[in-house]
Amino acid sequence: MKKRNLKPLLFLLPILIFSIAFVYYPFARVIVNSFSLVNAKGQLKGFAGLENYRYVFSRGDFAVALGNSLKLAAVNVPVTLFITIFLALLAEKKRRLSPVYETLFALPMSVSMSAACMIFKSMFSPALGWVNYFFGLSLGWFESRETALASCLILTIWMGIGFDFLLFLSALRGIPDQLLEASELDGAGLFTRIFRIKLPLISPTILYVLCTNFVLALLTSAPMIIITQGGPARSTTTLMYMMYASGFGSSDYSLAAVVALCAFVLSLGFTILSFVFERKRVHYQ
Amino acid sequence: MSRPDLNKGPKASRPASITSRERAADIAVSIIALAIGLVLIFPIIYCIFGAFKTPAEFMTPKLLPGSFANLDNFREALQKADLLRYMGNSFIVSFFGTTIRLLFAVFAAYAFVYYEFPLKRFWFFFILGTMMLPGDILLTTNYITVSRLHLLNSYLGMMIVSFVGASQMFMLRQRFLSVPKELKEAAELDGYGDLGFIFRVLLPVCRPVLVTLFVQGFITLWNSYLWPLLVTASAPEMRTIMVGITKLNSWEDENYWLVLAGVCISLIPSFVLFVIMRRSLRKNGLEGALVG
Amino acid sequence: MKKLLAIILAAAMVLGLAACGGQQEGAGSGDVKPPEPQGFEPKLGTEPVEIVFWHSASDAQGQLMDKYIQEYNQSNGKQVTVNAVYQGQYSDATTLLKSILSAENYSELPDVMQMDATGKVDYFNSGKAFTASDAQTQFEESVQGSYLDAALGNWEFSGVQLGLPFATSTTITYYNKTLLEQAGWDKCPDTFGDLIRLSEDFKANKINVPVIGTVPNTPTLANWLGQLGSYVVNNKNGSDGMADKLECVDNGALKTFLSEWKALYDNGALTNDALSTSAFVAGQVAIFTSSSSNIKSVLDKVGGAFEVGVAPYLRVSSSASHGATVSGSFLAMFDSQDQLKMEAAWDFVKYMTGEAVQADFAVNTGYIPANKAAFENSAYKALLASTPQFDVGPEQLEKTPSDMRSVTVGPSTDFYYAIMNNCSDMLANGQSVDETVSKMAEELQGLLDAYKRANL
Repeated sequence: MKKRNLKPLLFLLPILIFSIAFVYYPFARVIVNSFSLVNAKGQLKGFAGLENYRYVFSRGDFAVALGNSLKLAAVNVPVTLFITIFLALLAEKKRRLSPVYETLFALPMSVSMSAACMIFKSMFSPALGWVNYFFGLSLGWFESRETALASCLILTIWMGIGFDFLLFLSALRGIPDQLLEASELDGAGLFTRIFRIKLPLISPTILYVLCTNFVLALLTSAPMIIITQGGPARSTTTLMYMMYASGFGSSDYSLAAVVALCAFVLSLGFTILSFVFERKRVHYQ
Repeated sequence: MSRPDLNKGPKASRPASITSRERAADIAVSIIALAIGLVLIFPIIYCIFGAFKTPAEFMTPKLLPGSFANLDNFREALQKADLLRYMGNSFIVSFFGTTIRLLFAVFAAYAFVYYEFPLKRFWFFFILGTMMLPGDILLTTNYITVSRLHLLNSYLGMMIVSFVGASQMFMLRQRFLSVPKELKEAAELDGYGDLGFIFRVLLPVCRPVLVTLFVQGFITLWNSYLWPLLVTASAPEMRTIMVGITKLNSWEDENYWLVLAGVCISLIPSFVLFVIMRRSLRKNGLEGALVG
Repeated sequence: MKKLLAIILAAAMVLGLAACGGQQEGAGSGDVKPPEPQGFEPKLGTEPVEIVFWHSASDAQGQLMDKYIQEYNQSNGKQVTVNAVYQGQYSDATTLLKSILSAENYSELPDVMQMDATGKVDYFNSGKAFTASDAQTQFEESVQGSYLDAALGNWEFSGVQLGLPFATSTTITYYNKTLLEQAGWDKCPDTFGDLIRLSEDFKANKINVPVIGTVPNTPTLANWLGQLGSYVVNNKNGSDGMADKLECVDNGALKTFLSEWKALYDNGALTNDALSTSAFVAGQVAIFTSSSSNIKSVLDKVGGAFEVGVAPYLRVSSSASHGATVSGSFLAMFDSQDQLKMEAAWDFVKYMTGEAVQADFAVNTGYIPANKAAFENSAYKALLASTPQFDVGPEQLEKTPSDMRSVTVGPSTDFYYAIMNNCSDMLANGQSVDETVSKMAEELQGLLDAYKRANL
């Protein structure tokens, strides 16, 4: 009996050791920083209680940053889910050209975030970009208050498509044939088959994509750092960008810690909520 | 000893009575899919075309370069930054880093799916929580740790912070949960221990997901920049490809043609990996075996 | 019960580890070490020595850097070998520096490092700085007179000469000469008032191109307030010591500037967006201001599409003085406790900021030579003869009031965007100047106060 109890811990041990050493140990430092006065050299100068939290929450740009982050997540998650599931359904059946378009759908994942930022910045440049030129538009894209956040969304959604598509594709292809054949015999239509049979059967993957995409969207920072610098006029200032600019860039490590903790709590909260939903709705065979 | 035969054949085993209507639908879907695919990879095409442009051509919004024979940017990129050597370093770090990360994730996911133990949910979220923190806020403390472990300027130091793959662990858990429990029972009857079951039965069955995760992990590590830069401060010969690419960028000035050439070169291994992945899945006829 | 124990155990593990890490903080005080002037005996040249140089020069500048280092290694005659390492952008290199300092892993520090303005305070506070002031005292020599005052002054902090200027530039005005000529202008506007007159002439001539589009930020505000004789923050814009108060509100300079800025916009001369290089190259804006170091690339990008003119930086009004602050990078040295290495580092820094390298760097990039002797260099003279645009920057530096300083504040990034956002909001939301002054003052002072709380 005793041996049984130790074994799972043995399997967990490697990942736990590294989680603690390289994530939770530095994270504990982040928590300490959030309650302390920290100087520009990163040294603790005293206990601050909740003062840092009060300061951050009272700053006008915090609400803006939180709002923008939530907007990004709120749009990114459903849109990515919709696009990738649609693509996976489209590609599910094996056809002669399958290898070609499957590869096309998945390729965006091979581009690095920073490279993608540079490509998009150049493509969407208001003055010299191909997009405005080709479609005869005069939009400011990343450079105008109205469109900057939407442009960042386009970029991050594009970045996420490849990987999620592959996961959904392998999930769909893995649905046992008997189930589908049975439903076909029952005379179920295309939509019934998709919504009643396929989606429930790939719900484990949906849960995964839902959670990870929310976290990724909330932690998005590269397009803001590389392209927009949180602007114009804070229109793309997200929590993570605030952590960079107001935290690291302005040597305020307490602020960086508070903002990072906010993102952490939001992510964890969302994930736990999703797992409550898992108990009710996710089907594992 | 054959592994428990629960692998249903892939879709190909369905009755091959293809009606002409079905055929027409297939062609229509293929065309639509190809069109969407081309739109999706447009930024990559744009990048490739851009890499052939001269600086003057880059100052116009036209898509096509004047000539695809203009290899100056590639030549210059290779010459200005030692991209080939950097790619070798990136390969080492990405390959071993991803392998170890996946291995740890497999073990953890296995424990979560096949064992009951106290505080199971807590430990699960404990590990999952590691992906909810921005890496950059952990940077300085991790630098101190790695420095104390005397791992600065080593490949191990470059990859050691990537060994925790929470999202991989999560995906594998989802996948393992969908594997019928009878498989494990059958394997136990056949005398497989834990490791035997993992490597001989479970992983082969989950191969598509595993391969996808490997490719994704590899690409993520391949594209990492700041951490490998920090830990190799005194060993410039160990620098990775992304450091090489920033070396092509002049920051005050938007001279993207060189960067795009560099990006094209850096994409080659990802593409190769992609092709190998698809090959390996097809050859084994395991694509989509069982439930994802 | 068991569950509780496990949670406590995990938490204790984590916090325990954190506490271990916390203990080593607090060291590394002693900002400027006392110089040791007595009895200096040069060791350089007696035996071979290797020094490490970190730089952030990429692309074409990176190649120039490699070239200079190779030349130095081959011909310094003092058995010095410089090992150059590219450390990413300035911000990456600064992150690295901070990490090394907090790990107290001083053996990783380089002997010489290229830094920009963002690294100034970090370097000064590092406790391991071997400043140019230190070097001059220790090696009993003086080099101050060899460099442009404006260039040197930019790398001075709290009365200490941090390092010597490597890349020096200033902000100037670029204009589309062809377009201005169509509106009957044969020279570039000099003041905001000129911009308004130009926009009227554009309208009269049916030229439908914005005159200028920009949003003020820290450097531009420092320039324009500096022209009005005011600093943005106290302690000479933070160059004599950490700034903790705004200095442009009570003296009315900020209000004067914002009124002029609003007038520009209300008269249709200003677009409230950042229309910079790419818009200019595409002919979509007539005038933009940018670093003098971009001359070469702007000329290259425009090609022959139109004629590019370069003029001194715009002035707020005709009563304001001319000029703009310096930007660029400097070479900083670190205290390795090894006299030979430090001598070698100093020798290398003097070489990199010397006549030959400065002139060659200027010719190949458009930066201003910081070394006075470089102005007599024949290659540099030939450049000025063939491309007179390159002379605007150096001439402007001469006219710039000697006490004009760029802004050094702790919360630098926040400061930058707070200025931008407030200026931009004033125009976009039709706020009054007074309202904007008070909002901006409150936000900027709030940032300084927050920094002060943790640091001073």
